[in-house]
Amino acid sequence: MIRLLRIARREYLAYVRTAGFWLSLLLLPVGLSTIVIAPMALSHSTPIPRVAVIDFTGEHLEPAVARALDPAPGARPQAVLVPDPQPPYVDPADAARRIQPYLRGQKVLPDGEPLEAAAIVHPSGDTVAVDFWSRNIGASSLEGQINRAIERQVRTDRLKALGVDQVALDRVETLGLDVSDFSPKAAAGRVELTDQLPAIAGLAMGMLLWMVVLTGAGMLLNSVMEEKTSRIIEVLLSSASVPEIMGGKILGVACVTGTILLFWISIALGVAAIRSPPLAGELARVFLDHGRWAYFALYFAGGYLMFATLYVTIGAFCETAREAQTLLGPMMIIMSVPPIFMSQSIGHPDAPLLKTLTWIPLFTPFMMAARSAADPPLWEILATAALMASVTALELWVAVPAFKAGALATGRFDIRLLFRSLARHAGP
Amino acid sequence: MATALNVLGVTKRYGAFTAVDDLSFELEAGKILGFLGPNGAGKTTTVRMILGLIAPTAGRVQVLGEDDPARVRNRIGFLPEERGLYRRMSPVKAMAFLASLKGLSTAEGGRRGRNLLVKYGLGEFADKPIKSLSKGMAQKVQVLSTLAHHPELVILDEPFSGLDPANQQALEDLIREIAADGATVIFSTHVMQHAERLCDQVLLMARGKKVFDGTVDAARSAAPRTLLLEGDFAAEQLSDLPGVAEVTAEPMPAGGLRASASLSRGAPAQEALREAFAKGLDIRRFELREPQLHDAFLVLTGGGAE
Repeated sequence: MIRLLRIARREYLAYVRTAGFWLSLLLLPVGLSTIVIAPMALSHSTPIPRVAVIDFTGEHLEPAVARALDPAPGARPQAVLVPDPQPPYVDPADAARRIQPYLRGQKVLPDGEPLEAAAIVHPSGDTVAVDFWSRNIGASSLEGQINRAIERQVRTDRLKALGVDQVALDRVETLGLDVSDFSPKAAAGRVELTDQLPAIAGLAMGMLLWMVVLTGAGMLLNSVMEEKTSRIIEVLLSSASVPEIMGGKILGVACVTGTILLFWISIALGVAAIRSPPLAGELARVFLDHGRWAYFALYFAGGYLMFATLYVTIGAFCETAREAQTLLGPMMIIMSVPPIFMSQSIGHPDAPLLKTLTWIPLFTPFMMAARSAADPPLWEILATAALMASVTALELWVAVPAFKAGALATGRFDIRLLFRSLARHAGP
Repeated sequence: MATALNVLGVTKRYGAFTAVDDLSFELEAGKILGFLGPNGAGKTTTVRMILGLIAPTAGRVQVLGEDDPARVRNRIGFLPEERGLYRRMSPVKAMAFLASLKGLSTAEGGRRGRNLLVKYGLGEFADKPIKSLSKGMAQKVQVLSTLAHHPELVILDEPFSGLDPANQQALEDLIREIAADGATVIFSTHVMQHAERLCDQVLLMARGKKVFDGTVDAARSAAPRTLLLEGDFAAEQLSDLPGVAEVTAEPMPAGGLRASASLSRGAPAQEALREAFAKGLDIRRFELREPQLHDAFLVLTGGGAE
C-alpha cells in the first residue's frame, strides 16, 4: 500500500509541476471570463450602427422606430436612427438602388459613419411592407426590432382609425399572459428555477465526469507510455506489484483531476455566492438533499476507475502516440455517445432510450449522473452500480496480466500478445 | 559462503519457442557474475525470471534464500537494458523515489542518493533536471539509482552499452566497489573485456541453453592457446609441428607470412617452437598468446551472433 501511495504521490507531483496543469486550472475561470467579457468588449469596440427609415406610407413611422431603439438609461444604444441619406426617392425600387453605395461602403453618412441598414417602408394592400436592407446578412436582431416597432405602430394607427381610443389601446398594450409552470415533481407545485437545478446539476456532473475521464485518460496513457519507452516500467515492476503500480498511477491522476475539479467548483460556487447568494445556497442544497453527493461520488469513482483501468492497460501496450491513437480510436467513438444523450436528460430524464443507455456499463456513470434529477429508484442505483463494479472487476482481472505483458513487451503492439497473456492468466 | 542465487532447472517457453532451456547455476554472495551470450541467448528472460517479472514454465529460482523473488524485492537493485529515468525529475528526487519503493523513506532515499551523487562526482547536478545532463552523466545516475537502498543483489542488464571508455572504466570501478561492500552483482554484457576484468564467475548462454558456468580462467581454458609466428615459411610447414591443431596465415606487406597456429589442449608451445627451429624455418618473430574470454566465447557458443 505504501508503494501505491508513493507512486501516486510521484505521479501527482509530476503533473502539478507542469505548465499544462496550471493552464488546466485556469481554463474554466479564463473561459468563463472570456464568454462574459468577449461579447461586451466586442460591442464596445464596434461603432454604434446607423439605421435609416425610408417611409413611403406617409404614416410617420420613424418616431416609433426611434423609440424602439432608445436604450435604457445608462445603456449603450443598439443602433441610432439617422435621416435617410438621399431623399427624395421616386419609389421603393429607386430608394433601394440609391442606398446601395452607402451599404456597400462606397459612401458614408454626413457624420462620417457608414450606414448599417435601411428599412424601406411602403404600402402593401391594407397594411405596409418593410424591405430591410443591411450591410451584413446576419443583422437579424436589428431587423426584428425595427419590424416589431413598425408593426406595432401600424396596428395602433389602424385601431385608432377604427375608433379605439388611446386609453383602451394603452391597456391592451400592457396586457400580457401570466404564464406559470406546474409539475407534481416541483416542491411547491409551481416550477421554479430551484426545481430545475437538480436536473442542471446532474447534467453538469455528468459532463464533468466525462471531461475528467477524457483528461485523466490522456494523462494516464502518456504516463505509462513514457515509462514503457524509457524502460522505467521494468524498474517499477521489479520494485512493486502490478496492482500497486496501476493503482498508484490511477490514484495520482485522480488527485490531479480532483484538484482541478475542486478548484473549478470552488470558483463556480464563489462566483455564485457573490453574484447570487440564494442560488449558491440552492446549489448546496441540491448536492446535499437525498444523498446526491454520495450518488455522484459513487458514479464518479466507479466511472473513473472503469475508464482509468482501461487506459492504463492500453498505455502499457503502446510505445508511440501513433500506436496509442490506433487503439484509442474505437474508445473515442464510444466516448462521443454520452454527451449527445446526456443533454436530453434535462427534458426527458426517464426517456426509454436514456434508461436503456444507463444499462450499458461504459455509459452508466455518465447517464446515471445526468439522470439524477429523475431520482432513479434504489434498485436501479444498486443494480447499475453492481454492473459497473462487475465490469471494473473483470477489467482489473484482465488488466493486471495484460499490463505486465504489455509493459515487458518490446516493439509494435501485437493483439496476439494480449490474448496470450489473458489465456495464461485464465489457464489452470 | 552463503548462496545469493540458485537457479534450478529453469525453463521458459513461449508457445513452441523455448527461450530458456533447463538452466541451472548457483552464485555465491559477494561475487560478481558475468552473464554472457549472443543476442537471443535468453539472458534477459533469465534476468526477468530472477526478478520475478515472469514465471518460469518449469524449475525454480531461489533469490537471497527466498523462492518468491517478490518477497525480496527490497533487497534487489535492477538496471534494465535501454534504461531511462524521469527526464523532468532531478537525479536526487528520482533516486529518492526509486529508493522509496524499496522500503526507504523518501527523505532517507534522497539523502543516500545525494551522497552517492557527490561520491561519484555528480553532486553539482543533483538538483538539476535529468534532461539537462549529458548522456554519460544520466547513465551514471541510472546506475546509482539502483544502489541507494543498499541492495544485497544488484542486477545490471547490459550496463556498459552506450558508455564512452572513460565512463565504462568508471562503471567497472563502481561494480568492484559494490562487490567490495558485500553485494552480489550480476551483469549481462556483450563486451568480453569487462567480464574478463570484473567477474569471479561467468555464465555463457547460447540458444537458451547454458554452455559454460565457471571462472574466467576455466572459460579461457576452453579455447586453444595460439602461437603467432612471422617469417618466410609456408603455412603447411607449421601444420606438421607437434601440438599444432590448425593454422591460418596471411601474407605480410613486406614479404613473408603472418601465421596463427592453434595448439591442441595441453600441448606445450616450446615443443612446436623447438621443432620449427630444428627444421630451420625462417622465423623472425614469435609470440605465445593465451586465450581470451572472447576466444572462449566463440568456441563455446559455436561462433557468436545468432
